[in-house]
Amino acid sequence: MSDRFLRAAAGAALLLAALGAFAAPDPQSILEASDAVRNPDKPFGLTVLLLEYRNGRQVGENTLQVYSRADVKRGQFRSLVRFVAPPRDADKLMLKNGNDMWFFDPSSKATIRISPQQRLLGQAANGDVVTVNLAKDYHAELAAEEDVQDGDRQMRHCYKLAVSATAPNVTYDHLEMWIALGSNRPVKARYYSESGRLLKTAFFRRFQMQLGGERPTETIIIDGLDPNWVTVMRYSDYAWREVPEVWLQRDFLPRFKPE
Amino acid sequence: MRLSRTIGWPLAPWKSGSELRRPRTSPFAPLNIKPTQRLASACALGLLLLATGANSLAQDDEAAALGLADRAPESAAQPRSWRLFAEGAMEQANMHFGLPDEQLHRATIDLQVDQTIAAQWRVVLADRLDMGDVQNLNGTASISDVNTLKEVYASWAAQTGLLFDAGRINPRLGAAAGYNPTDEFRSDAVRSVDSSDPVSLRENRMGSVMIRGQSLWTGGSLTALFSPKLDSNANTAGYNVDLGATNHEDRWMLIASEQVTESVNPQLLLWREQDNAPQFGLNLTGLLGTAAVTYLECSAGRSPSLAAEAMVLPRDTAFRSRLAGGVTYTFENKLSLTAEYEYSGAGMDASQWRAVQAGPLATYLQLRVFAFDAQDMVTRRAAFVLATWEDAGIRDLDLKAWTKFDLIDRSRMIWLEARYHWSRIEAALQLQYDSGTVLSDFGALPQARIGTALIRYYF
Repeated sequence: MSDRFLRAAAGAALLLAALGAFAAPDPQSILEASDAVRNPDKPFGLTVLLLEYRNGRQVGENTLQVYSRADVKRGQFRSLVRFVAPPRDADKLMLKNGNDMWFFDPSSKATIRISPQQRLLGQAANGDVVTVNLAKDYHAELAAEEDVQDGDRQMRHCYKLAVSATAPNVTYDHLEMWIALGSNRPVKARYYSESGRLLKTAFFRRFQMQLGGERPTETIIIDGLDPNWVTVMRYSDYAWREVPEVWLQRDFLPRFKPE
Repeated sequence: MRLSRTIGWPLAPWKSGSELRRPRTSPFAPLNIKPTQRLASACALGLLLLATGANSLAQDDEAAALGLADRAPESAAQPRSWRLFAEGAMEQANMHFGLPDEQLHRATIDLQVDQTIAAQWRVVLADRLDMGDVQNLNGTASISDVNTLKEVYASWAAQTGLLFDAGRINPRLGAAAGYNPTDEFRSDAVRSVDSSDPVSLRENRMGSVMIRGQSLWTGGSLTALFSPKLDSNANTAGYNVDLGATNHEDRWMLIASEQVTESVNPQLLLWREQDNAPQFGLNLTGLLGTAAVTYLECSAGRSPSLAAEAMVLPRDTAFRSRLAGGVTYTFENKLSLTAEYEYSGAGMDASQWRAVQAGPLATYLQLRVFAFDAQDMVTRRAAFVLATWEDAGIRDLDLKAWTKFDLIDRSRMIWLEARYHWSRIEAALQLQYDSGTVLSDFGALPQARIGTALIRYYF
């Protein structure tokens, strides 16, 4: 009898363990939920203020207007980026549609194709940190649950995800991401190259209600090679925008006149 | 395929617990260890201390970065509908053929306005005023004001994908960097030449008066335009709008494009100039990996040679093609290199070119002046190599260098620029070298060397 009881207890324990395993969070779903916190689900626009620091001193300031729309097929965002400041770059445009990237200069009226590596304005590349839908091109594994200091210097209990690229020609080969339990807010991320070099560390903070969700309105990026190179990205003027499909092509760039 | 990458991650902290927790020897029981083991233990301890130190350092860096963000200014710049800059330039030219050296001074005001005036309506104005010693494409300097009305037109967006424009418009076409056979509206469009740089020649040219309609759909578009004859001769008066230069014949053009794949986006063109046969054009670009862009630009159709158009040779209409193709590779340090091959079937081969060089000087000059104004190749083949480097070792310092090499007569032009920019001010030094035998493509230019210093202020 006791033997039967022990077997039953062992069986129940196994069942509970199995149920526990089923209840364990799916890392890919966590990554998707974190993407949704950063990126609205309809076409939108925002203003990005980029402040660049070297050795504690501000050395650069750019303002960009971004118009984004998700690609229904690929799930990735396609963006029209208008440079607002500094004055020498005013009204230049960049179209990013996956790896199909075009740059338009209103002075020469030239629309030039650029390679993903060709960063005509280097800071624009940091836009990837904001609008990229990681879950579409990356695979996530749960590395740990741990407390980590967030951008407001508070300890926050997070999922730590090991995220590796599944699509070719993506900007980052792999990432470490800390995502807050419960809210799925992105808290911190480290971006690596294929060779394992740390490219940048990002903190997401200043969460505010924007476009129907709590979204980070500031990202702080620390360069992996030179930690004294810091970029602060501030997002404002969030708004739902009409971003028709016909806008997202080379021949529309000379026509683009934002509201 | 991705598995090998995952294995390659250094210090992957999400590796399984068994991989991380397997000290085979306790560090607190080193009694019977061999010297090699002791050395290994010491190394391990050192690495541990280093790792701890590095972690602490990283935390300090992160804390410092967050502190910077706490103190960062809040407000972003507001977009404007206009851009205005003033520029001053000094130029020193050492001349060929024993001509006296020249010192030129120029002041420029450049305005660009793009204003929405009502729902679906916008107006565009671009104007440039050069004052002082202003050069044209033939290198002749005038001491006067030269105004270039680059664009002035109204645009109506009838629907999201249906747009119409009317006025003086600069439809810049072409995928290539140094020579653009499909850029039909480049000829006779430059009134003042501040630099031989192809980018400067594109920025400072006049558009043509035209009506234009464009239909856009997802991934493609069709454009039709008509540019009428409005005058017969160019007018060099300083403040003339110079319609005779840009609208001295009727022209029409159709432009179609379609995104074939993510990396291939061809543009097809068909156009006709008054009294000439239709010309076909193609602009094709493609990605090679993540760092290289390749491009091909070509045009073809029955047309006279450049010499016949310049009335140096009798009319010799035949099927001719023009082509420019190349590749741009960008390195991780923002250095971009472009190599381009250029061909003009309307240009002269070696024997034709030698014959013109050996002929009357007046005939030679007539051809050269025509080719300059048309921005076309006087000989048949050339190579163009361009290097641009942003933040070249010093932040905000941009370097640019290009050379154009005539593959028929081996003459060349070399152009170098160093440009430093602050938030509103730019300062630049430019050098140009023209070399080759007398009466060669570049050796015949009056200037052997030109040095230019300029400063620009954006309002």
